[in-house]
Amino acid sequence: MRKYLAILRGALMEGMAYRTGFFFIILGNIIYLCVAYFLWHSIYANTTTIHGLTFNETFIYISLGSTVFVLLKTYADWQIAHEIEDGTIAIYLTKPVDYQFYALFISLGSVLTTMAAITVPTLLMLTLVFHVTFSLGPGLLLFPVSLLLAFLISFFFDYVTGLLAFYAESIWGISTTKEILISILAGALVPLQFFPQAIQKVLLVLPFQAIYYTPLMLVTRPNQDGSILLSMLGIQVLWVVILFVLTRLFYNQAIKVLRVAGG
Amino acid sequence: MLSLREYARLYLIIEAQYIKARMQYRADFILSSIGMFFSSLATLGIFWVLFDTIPNLAGWTFMEMVFIYAFYMIAISPMQILFDNTWRLRNDTRTGNFLKYYFRPLNMMFYYMSEVFDLKGLTQLLVGIILLIYASIQLGIGWTPLKLILLPVTLFGAALVLISIIVAAGCAAFWITNSFAVINLAWKLREFSPYPMSIFDGFFRFTFSFILPIGFVAFYPSQMFLRPDQIAPWVYFSPLVGIFMFALTYWVWTKGVNAYGGTGS
Repeated sequence: MRKYLAILRGALMEGMAYRTGFFFIILGNIIYLCVAYFLWHSIYANTTTIHGLTFNETFIYISLGSTVFVLLKTYADWQIAHEIEDGTIAIYLTKPVDYQFYALFISLGSVLTTMAAITVPTLLMLTLVFHVTFSLGPGLLLFPVSLLLAFLISFFFDYVTGLLAFYAESIWGISTTKEILISILAGALVPLQFFPQAIQKVLLVLPFQAIYYTPLMLVTRPNQDGSILLSMLGIQVLWVVILFVLTRLFYNQAIKVLRVAGG
Repeated sequence: MLSLREYARLYLIIEAQYIKARMQYRADFILSSIGMFFSSLATLGIFWVLFDTIPNLAGWTFMEMVFIYAFYMIAISPMQILFDNTWRLRNDTRTGNFLKYYFRPLNMMFYYMSEVFDLKGLTQLLVGIILLIYASIQLGIGWTPLKLILLPVTLFGAALVLISIIVAAGCAAFWITNSFAVINLAWKLREFSPYPMSIFDGFFRFTFSFILPIGFVAFYPSQMFLRPDQIAPWVYFSPLVGIFMFALTYWVWTKGVNAYGGTGS
């Protein structure tokens, strides 16, 4: 475990080195929040609740969704693909580290540095400019755990996408498709409640909702029944376990293809 | 100095070679096209979900939004297909690879952008054209000769507006090393251009109309075809906005090229 903490520390320091980038990331998120505010304001123009959600609740959901999206966009898939393409992955194979855990902790470092930069400005915007009121409840306490589980699930998708570089010339198409499908099907851009009933039922049994819908609803509706809240976390844990096993199996298959030129 | 005709001939020769080289990677072309297909339809997918709940968005129906969106897809295609190399500018300035462009007897922007002809962008263009035809049939838009002339003219202007914004953002690479976040922000703004500008309050409507005029990429010009009787007269100047913006961006590019000091070795 200590060696992975050392990797994490390295990733944190690297994240700090690129501070100027955070200014534009935060600015981008704030502009997005403003646009989303106007869009949803006009959707709620003639009504107070839609599908049981008030404007305040929907806006908490949407703004948190875009912020979590920024956090989870760690470019882990691109980094892994890059290491496969230029052969540096071979270095990790000769070291006593597990490549998946190595990539996981690099990615975690990126999430933590972005989180440190983005949390305060976003919360200030929401409370002072948009006058959003958060309801209090046990869901808020579960949110950090849920976010961590969401990160793991999101990472597993990034990991598999990156590993596809063993087979594909470039992962641009796969990575883009993955990102779009996850953000729509996970309810990152529109709460799942807005989808037609039949589609909603399908989306709730897919792993994607565990990345966005679950943590976002914990903050939007923090005072639901304890059993409901815990079962939401339980489903996330289940997906983490399933996807962890699947990614291990996939890695063992994919690594057999590896040929690095030059000795 | 080469004439415009010689540049056109040169461009065709360069791109023919480029496409031949890219065609070696057929599977990548297919995968990239699929990715492009999904990414270009993402926002429309969101609109589709929303319109299941609401009858209209600030007075615009779903089919009108499809038309605006199709206009947007066509208008952003030249940026994607012809100017995609802008994304590599920050790598080329960092590694010093950009220096080689100073030593050719060609216009530097022309030469730099000619290095990539993004084939997957053709998917976006095609889907946009199909959607535009579909929406205009559904809406029963009467295509008078004037409108048929106006369409390519407005699309040309709209495309220039987007190219100008993204390339100007990409030029940040001449001054700062890690400029990815700048161009990424501009790219994110692009996605707001099909939104009805009337949903915004005064400050944002002004910004999106006159400061970072993404409203001119899709919403304003497509009004000429959707609701010609309701628009402000200045909307007809939208092609000029594109030309003005591009001139401005070209000036920024020239400043950047002159300011760039290489890698120092």
